[in-house]
Amino acid sequence: MTDAASFVPKTVYVTYIAAAPEQIWQALTDPAFTRHYFSGFAVDVEPRADGHFGLLYPDGRVHIAGRVLEWSPPRRFSCTWVVEGMQGFDELPECIVTYEIEQAGGSCKLTMTESHSWDVPEAILAGGRAGWPAILSSLKSLLETGNALAIAMAPPPDFIEAVARAVAEKPWLRSR
Amino acid sequence: MDAVFKALADASRRELLDRLRAENGLTLGQLCERLAKSGSPMTRQAVSKHLAILEEANLVAAVKRGREKLHYLNPVPIHEIAERWIGKFERSRLQALSDLKKDLEAHDE
Repeated sequence: MTDAASFVPKTVYVTYIAAAPEQIWQALTDPAFTRHYFSGFAVDVEPRADGHFGLLYPDGRVHIAGRVLEWSPPRRFSCTWVVEGMQGFDELPECIVTYEIEQAGGSCKLTMTESHSWDVPEAILAGGRAGWPAILSSLKSLLETGNALAIAMAPPPDFIEAVARAVAEKPWLRSR
Repeated sequence: MDAVFKALADASRRELLDRLRAENGLTLGQLCERLAKSGSPMTRQAVSKHLAILEEANLVAAVKRGREKLHYLNPVPIHEIAERWIGKFERSRLQALSDLKKDLEAHDE
């Protein structure tokens, strides 16, 4: 079982959404929603702690695979992530992605935290940092206006190379 | 949105955002240390006050970890502002201009 206490938040993004907690929860956990705002990926989650978690390409192939660490609707949803189906990526240690939904006046505060157990190079963190603000803005737009945003996503410079380097050197074995 | 522009209208607060972009997840004390080391010291009270304004504008997200409070750069509101005024057709042209600017400036050195 993943020891969440040994993971440190490396990226934290917050957005305020004019919607009920239950609507935001559904948008995070229902593939009919994620397909629209999450670059076409369908979420596939077993709704319980220790259930399986995944993000699937439109053709059903697995992009992200993991386990549910916390399932507390409509407040906290936490799961592990491993990138599948890309050369070398599945050798990187899993990370933890946690969504937290809090009531804030008439709207809700949604916090996404990406936590890691090792000293992740900036060039790898940049991969998530390039995508999350667009995904969260698109989620907000979908819930507030009914339309997701068109997002063109490409890995930042040196991202693929940084992953290959980390897989070759395995720094997480040293940093324990 | 007013809060975002007000927060960004101060050079010291932009400096704090730059620090967090370079090194995310710092405590108040670590931020003060980094500023002092690089020759642009700010009092602890000033940093604390600026961080509160940045948090209020949602440009900084704070996470409690044990007894520490870690601060993270949150660019989501800036992304939302860009989405509001930049349509998807302008984006590729702006990207091209931005690339050109970076390219020309790199060759200047």
